[in-house]
Amino acid sequence: MDGFSGLLHGFGVALTWYHVTLMVVGVLLGILVGVLPGLGAPNGVSLLLPLTFTMDPVSAIILLTSMYWGALFGGSTTSILFNIPGEPSSVATTFDGYPMAQNGRATEALSFAFLSAGFGAIVGVLLITALSGWVTQFALKFSSPEFFGVYFLAFASFVGLSGAPPLKAAVSIALGFSLAAVGMDSVSGSLRLTFGFDVLLAGISFLVAVIGLFGIGELILTIEDGLKLDGIRAKITPRDVLRTAAQMPKHWATLLRSSIVGCWMGITPGGPTAASFMSYGLAKRFSAYRANFGKGEPDGVIAPETADHSAGTSAMLPMMALGLPGSATAAVMLGGLMIWGLNPGPMLFVERPDFVWGLIASMYLGNVVAVVLVLATVPLFASILRIPFAIIGPLIVVVCFIGAYTIAGRPFDLWLALAFGALGYAFKKLDYPIAPLILAMVIGDKAEDAFRQSMIMSKGSLTIFWSNPLVTSLMLLGLVLLFWPLIGAMIQRLRSARA
Amino acid sequence: MVARWQAELGMAAFLAVIGVITITGALEYGVGWSPSGPEPGAFPFYMGIIVLVASLANGLRAALPLLRPGLWAERPFLKPEQLRLVLGFTLPIFGLVVASLMLGLYVGMALYLFGTLVFQNRYPVLKASLIAGAAPVFAYFLIERTFRVAMLKGPLEAWLGL
Repeated sequence: MDGFSGLLHGFGVALTWYHVTLMVVGVLLGILVGVLPGLGAPNGVSLLLPLTFTMDPVSAIILLTSMYWGALFGGSTTSILFNIPGEPSSVATTFDGYPMAQNGRATEALSFAFLSAGFGAIVGVLLITALSGWVTQFALKFSSPEFFGVYFLAFASFVGLSGAPPLKAAVSIALGFSLAAVGMDSVSGSLRLTFGFDVLLAGISFLVAVIGLFGIGELILTIEDGLKLDGIRAKITPRDVLRTAAQMPKHWATLLRSSIVGCWMGITPGGPTAASFMSYGLAKRFSAYRANFGKGEPDGVIAPETADHSAGTSAMLPMMALGLPGSATAAVMLGGLMIWGLNPGPMLFVERPDFVWGLIASMYLGNVVAVVLVLATVPLFASILRIPFAIIGPLIVVVCFIGAYTIAGRPFDLWLALAFGALGYAFKKLDYPIAPLILAMVIGDKAEDAFRQSMIMSKGSLTIFWSNPLVTSLMLLGLVLLFWPLIGAMIQRLRSARA
Repeated sequence: MVARWQAELGMAAFLAVIGVITITGALEYGVGWSPSGPEPGAFPFYMGIIVLVASLANGLRAALPLLRPGLWAERPFLKPEQLRLVLGFTLPIFGLVVASLMLGLYVGMALYLFGTLVFQNRYPVLKASLIAGAAPVFAYFLIERTFRVAMLKGPLEAWLGL
């Protein structure tokens, strides 16, 4: 089943009252976690995931993805009204969104943000609809070396392109893989890296890591900044929205460029945060009103929002087709898929078309639902942020620990969540990237299996990674990206030597 | 005041130790080749090597300013007032974990919320009690009744027969 017929089937799955209700609940919960400091999309989804273990996978993924869309929208709301990015990926939205709000154009800024975000999301889903059949066909040709090549490429791009110090990114990734190896090894049955501690036998859950690293770590950072909430009040009327919507076509170039940037960064695991910054930078470079950027230029809101959301949605494509998540949140969902007993990768399209196409159809619907809901509920959610942090902060802490416990019902996980919280805080302050650590924890076993299988196929020779054109190009591209910081520096030096 | 380079150096040292622990743990299970493919320790072994080597490099970079004083030395990582805020937030969380492990999460969260509201933020006792009392009840109905997931319980729940 592919393309159109698959999508029609998917709409049949997604358009039930139950699923639409789940979308609404998911989006509202998502906006809530997006608005609250310290609770973002990755750990919002992590907190909700244990509660979906008993649900049908299609319903569960619709709930979780809707929460993701909601969180992306919620993050933009606080960026514009409070100058506090609810999500790392909406940092770039504060640059022009908050100045616009200060100049009395809050409604306009919010409408621009939500409409362009919706546009970006739909472009992302359209891309998924168009490409998924092709990517799956392509991925069905993969065997273990090719899968290892894809993983290698993904992590190499984190080292080379993410903007974080390359050596720190490398530490994050390798640490994530090491943490994934803790506990019973599924192949040999050996109890690796447990050092005789019984609590480590079942391994370290990536969900606890997400809750600690993103949730508690983020909260500590918020506290340290001496949080003061200085929000701008905004009420959105349908007429304001329509007036802003009428201006949207004027910004077609920014919308289009940002969607392309977003889709690219979503499919290659650059993620929404990198996408929004890159898109903002490009919009500034190409704009005729460059001097207005940072002072409240609509393009400065449209560009990061469009890219953020198109990256968020298109990250679902590699997650489903290759088992390779394009963002931290997608990584959490990928872990969820495995917990629900699904096997992410090209076979998913063959074995569970109802799941795949139901999800894709729900992404169309969910994003439309999200735009409508977020426009309708901005005043409500903005008022939540006016509750003193003295109450909100400890409540979020409690929610994080309840979430950590409900994952597996293990008291030890409370200590782990606290430890990961401290680590997350230190990592953030010292520019160690966190997303690749989570990605490595989630796909650690799969990457290791791919490596082991390849080695068995080749009887221990690394040359298997150069054995056919496909895997060779994957590995070559990966190596180029891995050493990109060095290559880039060398090119610079050559250029300046010539000049 | 904690300077940035001190924090960088501390983190690099911590991660290098983690790398060494990973390597020794991996060596237990063999890192070479067996008739059934790579031995179980091989993959973690190489990951440990990456953590160790990259952390040593990061540590070296952090230590460089020591040779040229005045270069980065002034860059702060944590000012005293920030340290106070951070500790004021994290120490009660530590208390929450200890209390929850001894008394269950419901009692733990009630004590934690009450404590932070009254002693840190000077909330009136009545208002704080209301919030601290309502949170566990809400959590109980949401988690255990609606989603049917068991929570960490202590002696109070046993006495109440929940």
